[in-house]
Amino acid sequence: MVESKSSWKAWLYLSPALVLLLIFTVWPIINTVRMAFLENYSGLEAIGGRSFSIGIANFTKVISYKKFLDCLKTTVLLCVITVPVSSILALLIAVCLNSIKPLSRMLQTIFFLPYVTNSIAIGMVFAAMFNIIGNNIGSENEIITTAGIINNIIEFFGGHAVNWINAGSTYAANMTVMIIYIVWNALPFKILILLGGLQSINKQYYEAAKVDGTSRKRIFARITVPLLSPMIAYVVITGFIGGFKEYSSIVGVFGKTMGPAGADKRLNTMVGYIYDSLSLNRQGLASAAALILFAIILLVTLVNLYVSKKKVHY
Amino acid sequence: MKIDENITMHQQDMQKVSVRQKVVKILVQVALYAFLILMAIIVLFPFYWMINSSLKTLDEYRLSVPTFWPHVVMWENYVNAFNTANLGRLFFNTMYVGIVSTILSLVITVLSAFAFARLEFKGKNILFAGLLATMMIPGELFTITNYGTVSAWGWLDSYRVLIVPFLVSVFYIYLLRQNFLQIPNELYLAAKVDGTSDLKYLWKVMIPLALPTLISITILKMMGAWNSYVWPNLVTRKEKYRLITNGLRNAFTETTGDVNYPQQMAAVALVSIPLFLVFIFLRKYIMKGVSRSGIKG
Amino acid sequence: MEVTLQNLTKIFPSKNKKDPTEVVAVNDFTFTIPDGKLIGLLGPSGCGKSTTLYMLSGLQKPTSGRIFFGKDDVTELTPENRGVGLVFQNYALYPHMTVKQNILFPLQNLKGEDKLEKEEMLKRAYETAKLVQIDELMERKPSELSGGQQQRVAIARALVKMPRVLLLDEPLSNLDARLRLQTREEIKRIQRETKITTIFVTHDQEEAMSISDLIVVMKLGVIQQIDKPQAVYDNPVNLFVAKFLGTPPINVFNGKVLNNELYIGEEKVLKVENVADQEVIVGIRPEGFILDKNGPLSCNLSNVEVMGRDVSIVSTNPNSQNPIIRSIIDADNEIDHESEKVRFSLKPNKVFIFSKETEKRLF
Repeated sequence: MVESKSSWKAWLYLSPALVLLLIFTVWPIINTVRMAFLENYSGLEAIGGRSFSIGIANFTKVISYKKFLDCLKTTVLLCVITVPVSSILALLIAVCLNSIKPLSRMLQTIFFLPYVTNSIAIGMVFAAMFNIIGNNIGSENEIITTAGIINNIIEFFGGHAVNWINAGSTYAANMTVMIIYIVWNALPFKILILLGGLQSINKQYYEAAKVDGTSRKRIFARITVPLLSPMIAYVVITGFIGGFKEYSSIVGVFGKTMGPAGADKRLNTMVGYIYDSLSLNRQGLASAAALILFAIILLVTLVNLYVSKKKVHY
Repeated sequence: MKIDENITMHQQDMQKVSVRQKVVKILVQVALYAFLILMAIIVLFPFYWMINSSLKTLDEYRLSVPTFWPHVVMWENYVNAFNTANLGRLFFNTMYVGIVSTILSLVITVLSAFAFARLEFKGKNILFAGLLATMMIPGELFTITNYGTVSAWGWLDSYRVLIVPFLVSVFYIYLLRQNFLQIPNELYLAAKVDGTSDLKYLWKVMIPLALPTLISITILKMMGAWNSYVWPNLVTRKEKYRLITNGLRNAFTETTGDVNYPQQMAAVALVSIPLFLVFIFLRKYIMKGVSRSGIKG
Repeated sequence: MEVTLQNLTKIFPSKNKKDPTEVVAVNDFTFTIPDGKLIGLLGPSGCGKSTTLYMLSGLQKPTSGRIFFGKDDVTELTPENRGVGLVFQNYALYPHMTVKQNILFPLQNLKGEDKLEKEEMLKRAYETAKLVQIDELMERKPSELSGGQQQRVAIARALVKMPRVLLLDEPLSNLDARLRLQTREEIKRIQRETKITTIFVTHDQEEAMSISDLIVVMKLGVIQQIDKPQAVYDNPVNLFVAKFLGTPPINVFNGKVLNNELYIGEEKVLKVENVADQEVIVGIRPEGFILDKNGPLSCNLSNVEVMGRDVSIVSTNPNSQNPIIRSIIDADNEIDHESEKVRFSLKPNKVFIFSKETEKRLF
C-alpha cells in the first residue's frame, strides 16, 4: 500500500541475512554439486595443486562401497520401522489424550518431556539401561554382574537376558535398542502436532456423529482420521526427513564408534558416512553421498505428498 | 391411558440403554487411562533411571538385583561428574555461544522478516520462494563446504565458528514474517501518518505484537546450542571451545561395559536439568514454537 | 485550513501482464474544500474516494496534479510532514498499548522544534480524550473497549497532534445501527468544536447527507457533483446522483417529451419548458406524488404500508424501470385499499428529466 521512494531500505534490512546465506547456504549448494562431479576430489589435494577430471566416478564409487550400502541399509531400516511405529503410537496417544479430561494437561506435559532433551545425553541413559556389566558375555563361561535394568525386567517376566549392545551383540539386538530409543524420542513432537490437530477439529462433527448413533470405531475411522489427515501426512513426512538424517542418537547410545565394541561402524548411517568421508578429506565422496541423501529425501517427500494428495482431505 | 403405558415402557427401555451406555463409557475411560498411564511410565522411565542411577554408589549400581531407590544418596557423584567432564567450562561456552547467537540471530531475523512482510521491492516474491526452497536441503550438504570455508578462514577452534554459520535461519524468517503479516497493514499506515520511522514502528509495534514468536525462536535457538553436536564436534578440537554435548560425549567415551555409570548419569542429569527447567517455565512458548516448526533445535 | 485539489489524478498500473489496462482510480479532480468544513466524499465502492483520501494523507502519491493545504503545496510531502490526522475504517489502534499510550504515540514521534515535554504531552492527551469523552478509559487496552469507544480513541489519536486536516475513512461502517446515529452526531460535534477541516469517505448516502457541510459525489474516478447535501438531493446533475441519493430511492420511468409536455406512456403528466422533443428518463422522488383521483399518472396499486406519519403506496406501472413504484404521501389522505388503480398528480420540483443518451439532467 505504501509507496516507498526506493527499495534500498528493504535491501539494507535484508543484507545481513543475504550475505550470510550466500556464504553458508548458496555457495555450499553450488560447491557440493561441483565437488560431487570432480572425480576423487579432495580439498587437501586441491590445495596442493592437483586437478580433477569431471565425471560421475564419485557417485558410482559411493554406491559400490559396501560401507555406504550398509549405512544406507541401516538408515532405511530405521526409517521404515520407526516412522510408522512412532506415528501410530503417537496417534493413539493423542486420540486418548483428547478424550480424557482430568490429568490431561499433566499427561501432555509428560509426553512432551522427551522433546526437551539432549539426544546424546539421553542416549547414554538408554545405553546404561541396556548395558550388561560382566565378562565374556554371550559365551559359555559368561559372568554377569549386572544385567541392566531392561534385562532385569525381562527376567522378572520370565525371559532370558539379551546381549543388547555389548561386545558380541547381534545387529538385530542393536537395531532394536535404536528403534526403541528413536521412537521414544520421536513421540513428543508427533503427539503435539496430532493433538493440536485433534483439538482444532470442530466439535460439531462429533456431535453430529453422536446424534446419528455412529460407533466409536467408525467415528475414529471416518471422522477423526480423515480430518486429521493433513497433520498425519505432515508428521509422516517430517518423520522420514528426520529419519534419513539419523545420526546423533546412535552416537548417544554407542559412542563415536557407531557400534558395539568389536563391531565399529556397524550402525553407521548416511549422515555418518558423509562425516566420515569429510574427516578423511574426501569431499568428493562426501558431496556425492550428500546429494544422494538429498535425492532420497526429495523422492520420499514427493512420494509422500503424492500419496497424501490422493488420501488427505484438506 | 394406553399412551401413558407406552411411555413408561419406553422410559424403562431408555433407562436400560442409558445404564449400559454409562458402563461402556466408564470401561472405555478406564482403558484410556490405563493405556496413557502405562505409556507415561515408559516415557518417564529413562529419566527416573537416570536420577536413580546417578545417586547410587558404584557398588550399589553393580548389584545384580537392581534397587529402585539408592540406599545411600551419593550427591558426590554430581560433584565428581562436574569436575571430571569439566562441565563448568562447557556450561559457560554453551551459554556464551547460545546467548550471542540468539541475539544476533534475532536481529537478523527481525530485519529480514520485516522487509519481507512490510516493504515493497523488486524480486521480493522470487527471493522469498528461493529462500524457502533451501529449507528442503539437508543441512549435512552445507556442512561439507562450510567446514572447508571456516578452515580456510582459520576459524577452527573459536567462538565465531560456532556462532556465525548458523545465524540465519530461513525458517525463523518465515515464521516471523507470517506473524508480521497478521498485523493489520493499517497499523503501519497509521504510524506513517504519525511520522513514525520504520525502525521505530518495528520496535514499538511489530516486536511487541510478535513477542510470543520471538520468545519461541529464542528458546529453540538456545536449545539448539545446548543440543548441537555434529558441527561443534567437527570444528573444535580444543577443550576451551567445546560445547556441552561434545564435552559430555568425549568425557565418557565408553557407553558399554564396566564404566562408572553413577558418575556418568550424574553428568547426563546435570546437562539435562537446565533443559527441564526451561521447559517447566516456558512450556507454552516451546510447544507453540515446536508445533509450528517441526525441527529440533 | 482550505484544501485544494488541482487536476488530481491517480492511475494504478495493471498488475496483470496479459491485460495491460490501467485503472484510473481518480480522474482529474479539481475542487476546493473551504476552511473548517466537514466534507463527505460519497460514492459506491471503486469510485476512487478512498484513493483520494489516501492521496490527501500522503500515503499514496498522485500520478499527476497537486494538493494544497492553504497556500502550501503538500503534494511532495510525506504523511508526517503534512500535519494530517487519519482515522482508519478498522481504527488501527495498537492492540498492545493502552488508550493513553495510543493517544500519546503520535506526540512521541514529534522531533526538533515540535518536540514536547512529557507533561505537555500528557496534558494534550487528556484534553483530547476529554474532547471525545474517553478520559475515563485511559488505562484500558483497545480489546476492552466497545466499537464506538475504539472509534473515539482513533479520533483522539488523530486529533492529538492538532492536525491541519482530519481524514476519516468510512468512520461509521464498523458500528451497529444505533451507535452509528450516536457517533454521527459525535463526529459533527467534535468537528464543530475543533473547527478542523474534516474530510470523510463513505458509501452510505444517508450518513453523508446527515453530517456533511458539503458532499462530493463520485463515480468511477470522476466527480459527479459537489454541493450542499440538500442541494445535491434537490438538484441532481445526472441520473446517477439522483439514484444514489435518497431513501427510499427515486422512482425511474421511461418517458418522452413532446411539445413541452412530459409523457409517461400515453399519459401527459407534466408541463416542461426548454426541453427539445426526445425520449427521456424521468426520475420522481417518492415524496413527489400527490394522491389525486383526477391525476394524470395512473398506476396499479399493489399495497399500502402505513408508517404513522406517512403512508407508503407501492404500485406498478409498465413504464417504470424498477419493479415497483414507491410513493410517500401524508397519512391524512384517504386511500381505497381495495381499488386496483391509483392516480397521482406530480410535484414539479420533485420530478427530474434526464437525457436518455447522456443521462444528464434536462429539466
